Amino acid sequence: MSRRPAAARHAHRPAAPAGVVAARRVVLDNGLVVIVRPNPATASVAIHLSLPAGAAFDPPGQGGAANLAARLLDRGAGGLAADRIALDFENLGVAFVARPRLDSLDVTARLLARDLPFVLERIQVIVTEPTFPEAEVAAERARILTEIAERDQDTAAQADERLAAALFPEGHPYHAPASGTRASVERVGQAELRRFHAARVSPIGAVLCIAGGVDEKAAFELARRTFGGWRTDGRSDDRPDGRPSPGVTVNVIPDAPAPEGFRVIVHPIAGKTQADIALGFVPGVHRRGDDLQAALVMSSVLGEFGMGGRLGLEVRENAGLAYYAHSYVWSGLGAGPIVIRAGVAPANVVRAAALIRKVVAEFLRRGPRPAALADSRQALTAALPRRFETNPLSAAILADCEYQGLGYDFPDRVPERLAAVDRAAVMAAAQRYLTPKQAILVVTGPDIPPQRLA
Amino acid sequence: MTRTAGASTPRGRGPAAAARPVTATLANGLRVLLRPMRQAPLVSVWCWYRVGSRDERPGLTGLSHWAEHMNFKGTRRIPREEITRQVELAGGLWNGYTWLDVTTYFETVSRDAFEAMLRLEASRMTECLYDRREVDRERNVVISELQGGENDPRTFLEREVAGTALQAHPYRWPTIGYLSDLRSITRDELYRHYRAHYSPGNAILVAAGDFEPRAALALVRRHFGRIPRGPAVPPVRTVEPEQSGERRVTVRRPSGAAYVHIAWPAPAAADGDFATLLMADGILAGGPTVNLWSGGQGRGPSKASRLYRALVDGGLASDIGTAVIPTRYPYLYSIQATVRAGVDPARVEAAILAEVAAVARDGGGDVDRARARNQFMARFALESESVTDVAHQLGFFETIGDHRQWLDLPRRVQAVTADQVARFTAARLDERHRTVGILVPAAAAATP
Repeated sequence: MSRRPAAARHAHRPAAPAGVVAARRVVLDNGLVVIVRPNPATASVAIHLSLPAGAAFDPPGQGGAANLAARLLDRGAGGLAADRIALDFENLGVAFVARPRLDSLDVTARLLARDLPFVLERIQVIVTEPTFPEAEVAAERARILTEIAERDQDTAAQADERLAAALFPEGHPYHAPASGTRASVERVGQAELRRFHAARVSPIGAVLCIAGGVDEKAAFELARRTFGGWRTDGRSDDRPDGRPSPGVTVNVIPDAPAPEGFRVIVHPIAGKTQADIALGFVPGVHRRGDDLQAALVMSSVLGEFGMGGRLGLEVRENAGLAYYAHSYVWSGLGAGPIVIRAGVAPANVVRAAALIRKVVAEFLRRGPRPAALADSRQALTAALPRRFETNPLSAAILADCEYQGLGYDFPDRVPERLAAVDRAAVMAAAQRYLTPKQAILVVTGPDIPPQRLA
Repeated sequence: MTRTAGASTPRGRGPAAAARPVTATLANGLRVLLRPMRQAPLVSVWCWYRVGSRDERPGLTGLSHWAEHMNFKGTRRIPREEITRQVELAGGLWNGYTWLDVTTYFETVSRDAFEAMLRLEASRMTECLYDRREVDRERNVVISELQGGENDPRTFLEREVAGTALQAHPYRWPTIGYLSDLRSITRDELYRHYRAHYSPGNAILVAAGDFEPRAALALVRRHFGRIPRGPAVPPVRTVEPEQSGERRVTVRRPSGAAYVHIAWPAPAAADGDFATLLMADGILAGGPTVNLWSGGQGRGPSKASRLYRALVDGGLASDIGTAVIPTRYPYLYSIQATVRAGVDPARVEAAILAEVAAVARDGGGDVDRARARNQFMARFALESESVTDVAHQLGFFETIGDHRQWLDLPRRVQAVTADQVARFTAARLDERHRTVGILVPAAAAATP
């Protein structure tokens, strides 16, 4: 008997489950990609639906539209009122969350396997027929405005926001915070949300992953029955990029230009006892670029392995200057930034910032020690089974890889790609992405004269 | 057509109770809990100590947490960088934390690294270095952690409420300690605290994952069996005197919003009323968790709960939260709300108290009680699937009392009646026992 679901008219030939992925993928007639990863050891199921409606696609002047839309999906849909939706989920103990990321709007649910048919049907209604009632829009907008006021006083959030605003020029999809600004949120009402939903929420470009205690064939059939009839108009603002995920539409987000020089931004927030430091570089890594693994190994050696790589060793362990000091690479549909972050006592900001820049300069000059390179490579490879231990993590990773155009089976190709990362590749990535003379340094918290940081 | 899910008629049988671990106590007093879980080639190893901020005193607050930091700084046999390196090379996740009753360290790694993790934890138990230069450097790191936490104005409110609600019991001071104490604690005081509390007689070793229990126990004996039992640790003597009237505290800090935080004395985890409190919390706020490690992950607010509907849907608050924390001794149950811009915090306080009073009258009613019960059961099952979660929960409850208190919670929660909820709420979550804290946003110039 064929194990290929009958509904999979456009399906690739399913690869035999192997490695950590152990999942199969089909594409429904309407373009929705469905991935199922059975995990018979558990009585639960995780659902992860990624929709091409992230904050990067907020309409001009309407920053925060995706955030507002995500938070209102379950506040009225089809013929169901918000109370009914909440009661039905919570009566079953379902953990339901809809939240915007930069590139996608993600709907997730964690539930007992027995409730999958009901919950999937309900999610279909929520995603495809939200009503955005006026009263709910007004209430949610007021909540978000309170959160923005809180965020304005948050040193860590301000460091991230101001860094993004400086690295990505105005109008770039990654320039503004996902939750929008006070002014932009106030411009989003019911009509704008309905337009945003109609323009962005579509099976074309969406990925549904079901992971957990399910029968694979039954889960595919359930997904087809529930979502197979979902139809929307074509999307004029999307364009297929020909990457190895037929059925997925990937929007192209332009690279940000490199900063013209090294620039310091100090954003004082009164009454704070600690400063946040953020040092950022663009253009960063492309998620589907050939050097993604080299960049990840670079960041691991520089600021992640152990207590925070070389940065953690020098800034936290040896100098005792910070509770945390680390780096990370973010990369989505567009090239994100490479960022170094630290939380530092106000008296130590100048010293810590100088030490961070010195560590970066030494890394560029000397590169990774062979042992450190080998350690980071091994750690990244060995961590794969752990990352797939739980159903929510598995569903999130598989949906993300597919959504980003890497293919759901990308994690199984990671060990081979990591093994190919050598010192030359890491050095090349460092020289390409760590540009100390073209970077933005943001400090938030108690006031520090910028000239002391230049 | 759409269907609805009935609260009073959950479909199918509830999730099975979590399986019991294999248990043993070594001759030196080390308690061992081993729970085989074969769904992934992983093992999670947790070493727990019955020491937390309750074991400190004014002048030495923050000792337990700082000692936890020092125990990542190398041992006689394992250099500083090797401690985390060994874990990460095994694909591992590692961390540690300190809380009121406990200090713990864990590694979730490939099963092949099980024995290496036991070796690491045995070394951490007996031979950490406490190098003076490392102590001085870590003083700045811990102070930085304290100050980072204080950047969130709610930290001040929580500290004030706990310190006001509890006036005698050592649960009243913050786990991270006071700044003045952190500036003056010496290396020798830290080391004495370490030696007094890190020994097999005061520890619990827990593993969950892909192993055979008998072989695993043999490995535990090999690495821990020869360590001397260590000194007996005295229990906390102080019992918090009963509160006899409402207490109030106001905090003025620069803040983007006002906050309301109300606390009442809560029963200890072993108390028969603990399950009743969980049910009352489920009715008020929905889906209570007793997993301090990962319980908050992947969940939004409970929009069907009474507090959410009254406060958030009612336009008074932008967010609400509650905390039921399992502890060895009676601690606090708290409800916190972020006041919506333009709303008087007094209205938020009144709305919270009205909902609590309603539960005291109706015990939650059949529908809300059934929903709270179903939410607890589902959440218990979902939080019992990963090796890290299971090892955490077994170890946490064993350290504060007995792991069976956790395993038995589904039965206890299911047995709670409306009458019990009403009586508990009326008697314990009342005006006489409450402490109300309000954070009022203040102009920056008025603050230190």
